[in-house]
Amino acid sequence: MKKPFVWLSLLLVLALTLSACGTAATTEPPAVETQPPAVEPSEPPAATEPPVEETTEAPVETEAPTEPATEEPVAGEIDCFGAEGTSVSLLYQWSGLEEENLTNILQPLLDACDITLEVESTRDQAILDTRVQANNPPDIAFWNIAQLEQYADLLVAIDDLPVAQENYADFWRELGSIDGTWYGLPVKADVKSIIWYSPVAFEAFGYTVPETWDDLEALVEQMVADGNTPWSMGFESGDATGWTGTDFIQDILLVTQGPNFVQGLIDGTVAYNDPAVAEAYELYGRWARDEAYTVGGAQGTLSTGFNDAILAVFADPPLAMMVKQSGFAGGTIAETYPALVYGVDYDFFQVPGVQGLQGGTDWMMAFSDSPAVQAVFAYLSSETGARRWAEVGFDITPNLAGAEGYTNESLAKRADMLYNAATLVADVGDAIPGGFGSAEFRAVTDFVNGADLQPLLDNLAEIQAQNTGQ
Amino acid sequence: MAAPVPQIMKQGRVIPWFYLAPALIVMSFFIVYPFFNTIYLSFMDRNGQLPASTTCRANQPCWGMFENYRHALLDEINLTSPGAAWRTFWTSSFGNMIKWIALMVSGTVIMGLTFAVLAERVRYEALAKAIIFLPMAISFVGAGVIWRFVYNYNTGGAQIGLLNAIRTALGMQPIAWLQTIPINTVMLIIVGIWMWSGFCMTILAAALRNVPEEIIEAARVDGANEFQVFFQIMVPIILPTITVVITTMVINTLKLFDIVYVMTGGNFGTDVIAVRMYREMYINYNTGVGTAVSVVLILLITPFIFLNIRRFLAQEATR
Repeated sequence: MKKPFVWLSLLLVLALTLSACGTAATTEPPAVETQPPAVEPSEPPAATEPPVEETTEAPVETEAPTEPATEEPVAGEIDCFGAEGTSVSLLYQWSGLEEENLTNILQPLLDACDITLEVESTRDQAILDTRVQANNPPDIAFWNIAQLEQYADLLVAIDDLPVAQENYADFWRELGSIDGTWYGLPVKADVKSIIWYSPVAFEAFGYTVPETWDDLEALVEQMVADGNTPWSMGFESGDATGWTGTDFIQDILLVTQGPNFVQGLIDGTVAYNDPAVAEAYELYGRWARDEAYTVGGAQGTLSTGFNDAILAVFADPPLAMMVKQSGFAGGTIAETYPALVYGVDYDFFQVPGVQGLQGGTDWMMAFSDSPAVQAVFAYLSSETGARRWAEVGFDITPNLAGAEGYTNESLAKRADMLYNAATLVADVGDAIPGGFGSAEFRAVTDFVNGADLQPLLDNLAEIQAQNTGQ
Repeated sequence: MAAPVPQIMKQGRVIPWFYLAPALIVMSFFIVYPFFNTIYLSFMDRNGQLPASTTCRANQPCWGMFENYRHALLDEINLTSPGAAWRTFWTSSFGNMIKWIALMVSGTVIMGLTFAVLAERVRYEALAKAIIFLPMAISFVGAGVIWRFVYNYNTGGAQIGLLNAIRTALGMQPIAWLQTIPINTVMLIIVGIWMWSGFCMTILAAALRNVPEEIIEAARVDGANEFQVFFQIMVPIILPTITVVITTMVINTLKLFDIVYVMTGGNFGTDVIAVRMYREMYINYNTGVGTAVSVVLILLITPFIFLNIRRFLAQEATR
């Protein structure tokens, strides 16, 4: 008896919903169009791996990547190698703003040669490995130095690609070579051997930027005597906790032993339990474990996130005077304290006495030599490509022709440092494949947490020997 | 003589296999094949190309084809002296696993049982149980992040971590809960107990419902106090369920990954087997050692799975 009413009400509800949908559907599209473009995704949250190359503090590129570039170079400067109308597949770890930066850099080439990009963005190396093993690699991959060795058999040699080799310092060829053949083009570099400080604070206490390592040690003691905490150190970085420590120790080794020694560690010709390494750990530990030298002593070093450690130096009041951190730190500071001015409130100096620079880069490697791949390599190694890279400010291009292009002061200073470096040494942990890196992070973490040093170094030497074939 | 079976109920030897086929195919693709492939890979090198024995080096200890198992079992332990081996064992993933099983299984079962018994006696039973069960509804990673805040240790300024804020308010020194050996593992286990107690409570509460009211009444009439009722009537009757809960919790604990990975990344001597397995596979890209660790994990879990299945079959038989 009640049934007709039930059906009737159901029908009514249905009709109402439908009409609601109908009106919504007709009004929605214009609403979307008038909406401002979606806010750009911010930097990836505290990465779980050392952000050797994080987003820079370069002027934020608000321009959408699809918009035509304003200062488009003359098409004649770009060699297309007959790639018109073809496509090229790229695989890289960048996303969000970083991905836009890359697209922005490549845009003049894409416009001039009518090349289409097929991109895949992932932080998961297994994707690259799987694709290579399945015989379906991307045309171009941007990855770490270890992959050059891993895939050397499958990669196209740089000598077989139209790369303007004169635009690259000799050490890049050496770093990117496996058994004498150059396989990877460095594209996005950052320097690690730098110390960030506050010029304002230094002036207030009458400190000067140290010229030599002895100066630095004296300055540190002076700061302690004045009741200031010299260092801010922060290890916490998820499953890569400890990488700031190994970076610091490698810089100490570059000061005390020089680049050949560190390169020996990478090759395996110098064992990791060498007394000089132990000495560097001890020196580092003297600072990192002591509350007088670093914020919070050992517990502070272990429990502080690496980004918080950077910010501690520029907080009000500052918790410490200096933090040793790669170039990306500038971006972290600018983002958190937008009022601070580079060169006035924050600045950096090279680790004094460092012989050769510690740095990292992403490597561009080719699994194919199709015309489009040739065009991309030619473009990025050319002056046009280098300038474009520098203008966009996607960290530093190792391409020397980019030198004049930087619009960001801090980036220009770091680029200058890189272009004038006698040599560059890769991060030992990054350069040795197969778990040495994570073992090194854990060892320095355990060391700062109070473990005996020698067994840790002996264990690392064992892993180093296993993975370098010595 | 049994009654004759109608022809239509009789099936040939082949027909049942047709019914089983879909399950068998899916199982062999997703369970059986990966299982045997894992065992195979655990005897190969990091890329699964050459036998593991080729990774041995001259004048170094070597277990031949079991080389990956040497890494899996002994890498974390300092074998230079018995004392050092003993000390490093207790911060290795295996030593931590023993702590986890001992504290987490007993903790969750005792808490679960206590809540199950007590919750029945309060007026807001459903609400009380819901609150205790709530942590199960939070993702494990989310819970790890929440508890990282609780344990937070700040070097400059105010302590934003709950525990350290309480300590400093009481005039005590803050503690780096997650970095200080050996309390950090205990702190992680507390998170595990917080998460899993609700699960144990739910199952044990269901079992308690099945305890016949007459027996309890009879015991009370005979003058038993509440403790005697609990320990001498309830516990023996629900013992089979308790066993199942214990074995399930042991398996859950052995597989534990999220809490440790999120909160300490396995650093500061808090490593566990599953985090090691992940690290060897996906950070170090060392397939051989990674799969060897996972085979060790399978071997450790197998007896408990066996126990669980036997209990399950015994229960089926009584129905």
